[in-house]
Amino acid sequence: MGKIVVRDVSRTFASSSRHGSDVQALDQVSLEIADQEIVCLVGPSGCGKSTLLNILAGFDAPTMGDVRIGDIEVRSAGPDRIVVFQTPALFPWMTVRDNIAFGPRKRGVSARQCSEDAAHYMHAMGLDDFSSHYPYQLSGGMRQRVQIASALVNRPDVLLMDEPFVALDFQTRLGMQELLLQIWEEFHPTIFFITHDVEEAVFLADRLYVMTQRPGRVKEEIAVPFPKPRTFDIVTTPTFVALKERVFHLIREELTTSNSRGSIPGRTRS
Amino acid sequence: MAVVTRPLARSGMSREAVVSTVTVVAVIIAWIVVTTAFRISPLILPSPKAMGSELETLLSVGYAGKPLYVHVAMSLFRSLTGLVAGIALAIPIGLAMGYNRTVNAALVPIFGFFRPIPPIAFIPLMILWFGIGELGKILLIFAASFNYTVLNSAAGMRSVPEQLIRKGRNLGLTRGQLFTSVMLPAAMPHIFTGIKTSTAVSWAIVVAAELIAAQEGLGFIIQDAGTFFRISDVFIGIIIIGLIGVSLELVISLIERRTLHWQGK
Repeated sequence: MGKIVVRDVSRTFASSSRHGSDVQALDQVSLEIADQEIVCLVGPSGCGKSTLLNILAGFDAPTMGDVRIGDIEVRSAGPDRIVVFQTPALFPWMTVRDNIAFGPRKRGVSARQCSEDAAHYMHAMGLDDFSSHYPYQLSGGMRQRVQIASALVNRPDVLLMDEPFVALDFQTRLGMQELLLQIWEEFHPTIFFITHDVEEAVFLADRLYVMTQRPGRVKEEIAVPFPKPRTFDIVTTPTFVALKERVFHLIREELTTSNSRGSIPGRTRS
Repeated sequence: MAVVTRPLARSGMSREAVVSTVTVVAVIIAWIVVTTAFRISPLILPSPKAMGSELETLLSVGYAGKPLYVHVAMSLFRSLTGLVAGIALAIPIGLAMGYNRTVNAALVPIFGFFRPIPPIAFIPLMILWFGIGELGKILLIFAASFNYTVLNSAAGMRSVPEQLIRKGRNLGLTRGQLFTSVMLPAAMPHIFTGIKTSTAVSWAIVVAAELIAAQEGLGFIIQDAGTFFRISDVFIGIIIIGLIGVSLELVISLIERRTLHWQGK
């Protein structure tokens, strides 16, 4: 199932230049995510958030420590945990429908089943009218919907989301956040969600982790007490505002205390 | 939802097409005016009218004992044979170079050395080794076509976005599936650029090769007609070469637009 256990994970990148020093992106990070839980990871830019996600995805390996998903150690990438990238990873030569059906089709699912599944998830994401469009014909928000549909169609236990809404305009972003919670109500995936948007993190998460400046460590773990389903009505409640302020404060602490630790490692995206 | 819409289909010719047509007509009129008003000798610049009647002769009688279409067909045959063979070999080798650094390191000194040398520099060697028959000319065109497509195919392979490769691995694709379903289509725009360059080069080289050693072909007509002061035939040869070159490019562009329409505008 979709339980994630990260134990003492460190990741050091060897310097690309001969005289530079190695860069430590993650330092003994431990965290746990229960099955069907939504956990957000917030932290300043360059704190190793994406590095941790890449390790969970199996794109990268920890220098020390280990990562288990559903009691199986992560050694390579696989469709049980699908990554939703910041910029939509769509195959530009395929229509929306073919992009969504691509993964199952390549794993040998019958064409009929694939097209039924694709139709189902296109409907769930409000893409019915766009099935024959190509990615270049879609707006950023629609592309991100297609990417999420192409993730869900694999029925992953885990969704790994790497700042998926950061490139969208404000209103589209709000719509996508609500849509994500609706998706969760329907499919109950475990969601590991990276963001530097504090409000987004508090709105979406059951629990959130605040990371330190690089080398990234877990600075604090915070439970978000709002029950699901949630609507945007909660963002103005005193509890929400107080939580937001607390997370803000934690991140600000990081920015002010540790701005002398050198440059951002080249391998990690902000 | 912001969906890009195509401009409505316009009736008749587009503005650009009209302008281009006007240019062509203007050049022909200028040619007529210059040749008649300044009474230029037909040995320097024949008038379009003189060329028209000469074209009629070429079409009915042919040139050097062979019908005009035979000359055109020979040039096209040499060019396209070398081109297709060159592209067919260049794409797999280029993709392998782009995919694997060792393969690239092994082959790059060879192709890198030959690339800056104008292919026609090898014509004397081709004649020496293969005689003045078809083989030498076709090999020359083959080598030139190969060189451009191999470069672009390798570049195409290297330019496949890392994110798409990760997405493929994430979806559980095998290495073979990753290559055929992700990397190859993603490399297609570059491959097409290579094919277009190779096509233009192959057509240019066939004419050059025929200038030196051939008994038929458009290059032969120009060379032979120049020797015997049949200036109208020289011009007609040049115009046919130009028109066929433009047509080849149009055909490739059409195929490109059909297959790579997903690139948008």
